[in-house]
Amino acid sequence: MRDVAMRGFSTVLVERADLGQGTTGRFHGLLHSGGRYVVSDPESARECASENEILTRIQAGAIESTGGYFVTCPGDDPTFADKFLAGAANTGVWAREVSVAEALRNEPRLNPGISRAIEVRDGTVDGWKLVWGAANSARHYGAQILTYHRVTKIETEAGRVTAVRCTSLRSGEEVLIECDFVLNCAGPWAGQIAAMAGAHPVEVVPGRGIMIAMNHRLVNRVVNRCIYPADGDILVPAHTVSIIGTTDVKVDDPDNLAIEAHEVQQMLDAGEVLIPGFRNSRALHAWAGARPLIKDDRVAVSDTRHMSRGMAVIDHTTRDGLDGMLTIGGGKLTTYRLMAEHIVDAMCDKRGEHRDCRTDAEPVPGSESGRTHLVSDRLHDREHDRFDEQIICECELMSRKMFTDALASQPAGSFDDLRRQLRLGMGPCQGGFCSVRATGIALDAGHLDSERANGLLRLFLKNRWIGLWPILYGDQVRQTALDNWIFQGTLDVEHLPQPTSEVVL
Amino acid sequence: MSRVVVIGAGLAGLVAANRLAEVGVQVVLLHKGLGGLQLGQGTIDVFGYAPERVFNPIKAVGSVATTHPYTAIGGKAVLTGLDYLKKLLPELLLGDPESNYQLPTAVGAIRPTCLAQPSMIAGHVTDGAKLVIVGIRGLKDFQPQLIAENLARTPLPDGGRLRARHLWVDVPARDGEIDSSGLTYARAFDDEDFRVRFAKAVVDQLREDEIVGLPAVLGLKDLHAWRDLAGKLAHRVFEIPLPPPSVPGLRLTEALTARALAAGVRIVPGVRTVRYASSGDRVTSVTTAAGLGGRGYAADAFLLATGGFESGALNLDSHQVVRETLFDLPLAGLDQTPLIHGEYWGPEQPLFKVGVAVNPKMQAVDAAGIPVFANLYAAGGIIAGASGWTEKSGDGIALASAIVAAAAISKELA
Repeated sequence: MRDVAMRGFSTVLVERADLGQGTTGRFHGLLHSGGRYVVSDPESARECASENEILTRIQAGAIESTGGYFVTCPGDDPTFADKFLAGAANTGVWAREVSVAEALRNEPRLNPGISRAIEVRDGTVDGWKLVWGAANSARHYGAQILTYHRVTKIETEAGRVTAVRCTSLRSGEEVLIECDFVLNCAGPWAGQIAAMAGAHPVEVVPGRGIMIAMNHRLVNRVVNRCIYPADGDILVPAHTVSIIGTTDVKVDDPDNLAIEAHEVQQMLDAGEVLIPGFRNSRALHAWAGARPLIKDDRVAVSDTRHMSRGMAVIDHTTRDGLDGMLTIGGGKLTTYRLMAEHIVDAMCDKRGEHRDCRTDAEPVPGSESGRTHLVSDRLHDREHDRFDEQIICECELMSRKMFTDALASQPAGSFDDLRRQLRLGMGPCQGGFCSVRATGIALDAGHLDSERANGLLRLFLKNRWIGLWPILYGDQVRQTALDNWIFQGTLDVEHLPQPTSEVVL
Repeated sequence: MSRVVVIGAGLAGLVAANRLAEVGVQVVLLHKGLGGLQLGQGTIDVFGYAPERVFNPIKAVGSVATTHPYTAIGGKAVLTGLDYLKKLLPELLLGDPESNYQLPTAVGAIRPTCLAQPSMIAGHVTDGAKLVIVGIRGLKDFQPQLIAENLARTPLPDGGRLRARHLWVDVPARDGEIDSSGLTYARAFDDEDFRVRFAKAVVDQLREDEIVGLPAVLGLKDLHAWRDLAGKLAHRVFEIPLPPPSVPGLRLTEALTARALAAGVRIVPGVRTVRYASSGDRVTSVTTAAGLGGRGYAADAFLLATGGFESGALNLDSHQVVRETLFDLPLAGLDQTPLIHGEYWGPEQPLFKVGVAVNPKMQAVDAAGIPVFANLYAAGGIIAGASGWTEKSGDGIALASAIVAAAAISKELA
C-alpha cells in the first residue's frame, strides 16, 4: 500500500482484522542479517542483508540493532561454521568469527560448551510498529485503510477486475470499492482471495510455527544455532522478553493454528541447548503463526521449511485470463518491502507505465531521526513524565497518556488492537493489574458504554488465556493464581452482567 | 511445654497460631511473605457461589461434595471460627453465618461474603438505594464510572435495582504525587488533616440520601478513620476492596499478628522454610534458608499453612509435574485431565483444585487416607478440593481448617 501510494496511485488497503494481527505480528521478532540462509538459500541471504540495511534506515523506530551470534552447540557439526563463513563471503552477508571466550563474555548465559561463534548483524523488529510505520506513511500519501473489513467478492467484467466487495465486521456495512487493479497480499489467505475473483486455485501451504516468549532478556543479541535451519534454533531478545522459535508443521487452515504440548516441550528442550537452565525461567506467552509459502514442485509438500522462501508473483493474466490482479506469496518479514516493490513493479509493467519505487529512500513517519529503539527507551520516557502521568501497565511501562492517545486514534478498537501498539498486558502479569484500569479509563474517555467495556475486558482476558494455558508452568502458574484471586476473588468479574452477545472484535 | 511450628502467615496460619498460643502451646510462626490476606478482599468468605449465588453460607457448607474440604472440616468448625474471629476482632469483622452480605466490587459486580469490615457494610445492596461512587484521580485501581454504571444496570440478587452515579475528586495522597498506591492513600487517611481536606473536596458534590462508595483505603492503622470521614461528610460511606495490596487484608493481618504476639507467639518473618527432618512417622524439625546450612526449628507438631500455587507452596514444573514444595506430600486431584484447558470463561481449571488431602483432624494423608506423618497437619489453601476464588470459600476453609487443626494438635500434645 505504501509503495502503491508513493508511486502516485489512489489506493485502499482492506484487512479483515487489525493490522499485523494475522501473520506479520506472529513471528519471533527477528530482523534477519541473512546469516540464516547463507548455506541453505543464498538468494534469500542476499535479499535479507540488503533489506536489513534499508529497513534499519527507513524504519529505525521499529528496530533494535542487537547484533547476533551463530553458535556451534555441543553435538552440532563444527564444520558447518566453515560452510557458513564461505556462504557469507559468497553472498556478501557480513559475518565474523569471534572467540568462544568473547561470545561468552558478551552473552554469559550461553551454553559454555559452544565450540564456535560467528557474529552477524541480526536485529530485532517490532512487527506491529513496522506495519503501522508503513501504514502511516501510506496514509500520508493519500492511502485509505479499512481494517476489520472482510473481502466477500472480487467483481470482474469481461476478464478484468472492476471492484472489490467487502463487509465491515464491526458495523456490518457493505463496502464496494471500484478499482482497476487488485494486489492480493493476503499471505496464507491468498488462495482464498484469488478464488473470490474466480482464479484457478493458488496453492498456499501454510507452515505453522510456534513461538514462546520468556520473561526477561536471557540474551541481548539474537542467538542462532550454527546448523542447517531447524526447529527451535533461534532465540530473539525483543523488548522486555526473549522469544524462542520456531517449529514448522504443514497445516490446512491458517485460521486454526494450535499450540501443541509436544511442540512446547520441543522448544523448551531447544532452549536448554542454547541457554542451560532455560526451563527454569518463566514462559509468559505463546503464539502460532503461518508462513505463507507458495507450493513449489521442487520439494515435498510436507516439508514447508525448505520450500521457497523466495517470493513469487503470480500473474493472473497468463494463468487465468484475468486482468487486473496479481498475487504474491512466499517471502519473509525482513524482505516485506522488497516483496511490495516486486509486486508493484509487476503492476506497473502490466499497466505499461514506469514509475520508480521510492520506498527504500524515505523514512516512515516517526523514524526520521534514524535512531533505532532500545529496550530502555520506555524507562527513559517514564523517568521524564512520572510526575505528570500515571503508569497504567507497570510491566511494560505504559503511561495513561499513551493509552488514551492510542484509544483516541482507534476509538472502536479492542484492547488487543491497542495492545499491539502499546504492549498493554504483554508483561509478566498478562493483564492482571492493567486490564481493569484500561477498561475504566476507556469508559471514562467516552468512546464506549459500560456494556462494551465489560465485553472488551472479557474478550481481552479470554485472548490472553489462549497464549497462556499452553505454556503454563512455574511462576506463571503462580501469577495466574494471583490474577484469579484478583479477577474472581476480589472483583467477582465473572458475575458482572454479561453482554447480550459476547464482544468478539 | 509443647512446641508447635506453624508455617505461613495467611488467615490459616495466624488463626492457628493464636488458637494454640491461647491454650498454652509454645508457637513459632515461620513465614516468607506478608501472607495471603493482603492478596484478597479483606472480608471473610464462607461460601459465595455453589455455583449459584449463596444467601445462607453455613447452609451451603453442609451440602458440599465429599471431595470438598468442608466435608472433612465440618460446618461446626466454620461456626466456631466465625464466632472466634468476631470476638477476637470486633472492630474489624461483623456478620451472620446464616446470611451473606452482597457487596459492590471495584468493577461493579455484586459479591457475596459472610463477615465484612464495618467500613464496608453500608454497601450491602438494597432495592432503591442511591449510591455515589467517588473516584480519586491519583488512585488508578478504582474506576468509579465503571463501578457505578455496572451497579446501576445489574438486577440485584433479590430482584431490586439501585441507582448509582460517580464522581471524581483530585486530592493527592502526597504533594506532587499523581500515581499513588492504595497503601499510600490508606496512610494518608490515617491522618485527620487529610480527612478534612478530602471531605471538603467531596461534601458539596453529594446529594441527599446518597450512600458514598469509596476505595477501601480509608485508614490502615486508624480503624475509625472511615467513621470519622462519614461524620465529616454527614453521609453513610462504604469501602470497596481493590486489587493488591489490599488495605482491608492488611488490617486483618496486622490485627491477628498483634494478638498472636500478645499471646506469646514467636514470629519469624521473611524466612522460607526449605526442608524438614523426620524420624519414623514423625517430623522432627524444619529448616529455614538462613545463613550457612539454614536454621533448624524442632517441634512436637507442625502445621503447614503455606497456601496454594499463588504462594509457591504448590508448583507445576515445566514437565507438567505438580509438587508440594516443602514436604513433597502426596497430592489429590491429579486424576483430573487435562489439568489446564483453554476456555478462560469455561469450567474451573482442575489444576487449581489440586492440593494435599486431609483427614478430619487436618493431618495430611496419602491416597489411602493414612497420615503421611503423625504430627504433620495442613490448613488453608494447601488443602485439595476447592478453588476459593471461584466459590468465594477460601477464607472459610482457611479459618475452619485452622480451628480444627489447632484443636487436634492441642489435644494430641496434652
